[in-house]
Amino acid sequence: MSPILRRAALLAVWLPALGAAGLAQAQTTLPPAGRLLASNCFQCHGTNGKGPGFDILAGKSASELYSELKEFQAGKEGDGIMARHAMGYTDAQLRALAQWLSTQR
Amino acid sequence: MDRRSFLMSSAAAGLVTLPGAVLADGRRQRSLAGSTTAPLLVSPPTNPKSRVIVIGGGMAGATVAKYLRVWGDQVDVTLIERNPKYLSNIMSSLVLTGQRTLSGLSYGYDALQTRYGVRLVVGDVVEVDPVAARVRLASGTWLAADRIVMAPGIAFDAVPGLDDPMRMPHAWQAGAQTTALAQQLAAMPSNGVAVLTIPKAPYRCPPGPYERACLIADWMKAYKPRAKLIVLDGNLDFVTERDNFSQAFYGLHANVIEYRTGVEISSVDTNQRVVYTNGGAVKADVVNLIPTQRAPALVAATGLATATGGRFAPVNVLSYASTVAPAVHVIGDSSATTQPKAGHIANQEAKVCADALARILAGGQPDPAPVTNSACYSTITRSQASWLTAVFQYDPVSGTMKPVVASSAASVGWNGDHFSQMTQWFGALMADSFA
Repeated sequence: MSPILRRAALLAVWLPALGAAGLAQAQTTLPPAGRLLASNCFQCHGTNGKGPGFDILAGKSASELYSELKEFQAGKEGDGIMARHAMGYTDAQLRALAQWLSTQR
Repeated sequence: MDRRSFLMSSAAAGLVTLPGAVLADGRRQRSLAGSTTAPLLVSPPTNPKSRVIVIGGGMAGATVAKYLRVWGDQVDVTLIERNPKYLSNIMSSLVLTGQRTLSGLSYGYDALQTRYGVRLVVGDVVEVDPVAARVRLASGTWLAADRIVMAPGIAFDAVPGLDDPMRMPHAWQAGAQTTALAQQLAAMPSNGVAVLTIPKAPYRCPPGPYERACLIADWMKAYKPRAKLIVLDGNLDFVTERDNFSQAFYGLHANVIEYRTGVEISSVDTNQRVVYTNGGAVKADVVNLIPTQRAPALVAATGLATATGGRFAPVNVLSYASTVAPAVHVIGDSSATTQPKAGHIANQEAKVCADALARILAGGQPDPAPVTNSACYSTITRSQASWLTAVFQYDPVSGTMKPVVASSAASVGWNGDHFSQMTQWFGALMADSFA
């Protein structure tokens, strides 16, 4: 079972009142992990990281995005607004949002 | 239009196919790969699975309308806004110095309609039924939905004696008052006195009044060389970005700005341009009177403004559902949260709300750990700026958004690079909200 389906199945346990149709809907529309987190980037890097704005994020690999964010977070890119911004996320959150952004082409 | 005919008009929209959607997010495109017919975002859904009405087309309202369409599963979205165009409050203090125009800060709703299939109704909502989730327009028409999102911004408290607001404009909602204040500043004598009042927090855009004071002070040095700007702050100290603003007020602009704190305004005389305070009367040539603020009357009339002494609407920050009426969500400056009232974070609140609604309308639950962020730039002079930012994480213990300490910071000083970045940030933010 894929992680998304497993989450949907877990959700089903919590939603006993929902009918079968509702559950099917929940399974098909559970948002991909990291998307909402990644949307914090859109104000400055464009919807889905595709600009207009500062650096375009779409098209980069998850590892590239993650390592850049970790460098900002560690202060290796100075003490600018992006460094401070990166410090606001946990490591798991940075991985999740980098993973989602890497799906944007 | 009653609910039935509203539904029928939704159904009347034509069927379209999806030949590689232009703006649909990647997941949707992939999940629909192989499907021959699918909803194209450019039109409202042909067979909507749910309906949402959004009241107010500012930073929060425009963003939630857009992202409900991008992220939602066949969500029919109707945005109700009284003005055909949005005038950005962000950057509008630069209209006072002649560096920006109101027309250049004007944003239409065309993209929301034609690229995302949002229905636009230009009109006034006069009543919200928070239980049945329906709204009544000034025309008498009722519109119904599964959920309502209120994003009506702010309203100003009455100030005794303010019988002609245009003679003491707040210019805190971009528009005619911005133009009036610009004209009054331009017309003041070169040795004149201007007053800028800062309301008690919480108010819209915490650094905004301080950056405006800095900007006007810098402008005065060039155009009104012996003029003075008296800043009457209703708070006991700088509300935010203390280091930069205190250095600017007491250093860079010390020969122009006179800063008084803890000032309570009891009344004004618009004709004589006098402000009466707990510290005495202040007479000026120009008065930029920014009154204390609250959610607009519609929020209170709906029974939702029960926080902050009856000023703002308490919400569950996992979904922005009103804690009073859960079928109504309140985002942006009207809501009472730990987050600042400002456009950048209103955009993110809108995304959290859109994501939560997409899940809820499909039978799910909101993301249990949302993150939001605030970022902005403040003009310290007409060509230099500072920045301010914070990331907020959901705290399940308090049920609030808590700023991450390490992420809450301002620039050390100000410079021209930050001013250029401000322009870039603004363009990106407006595109993410309106385009």
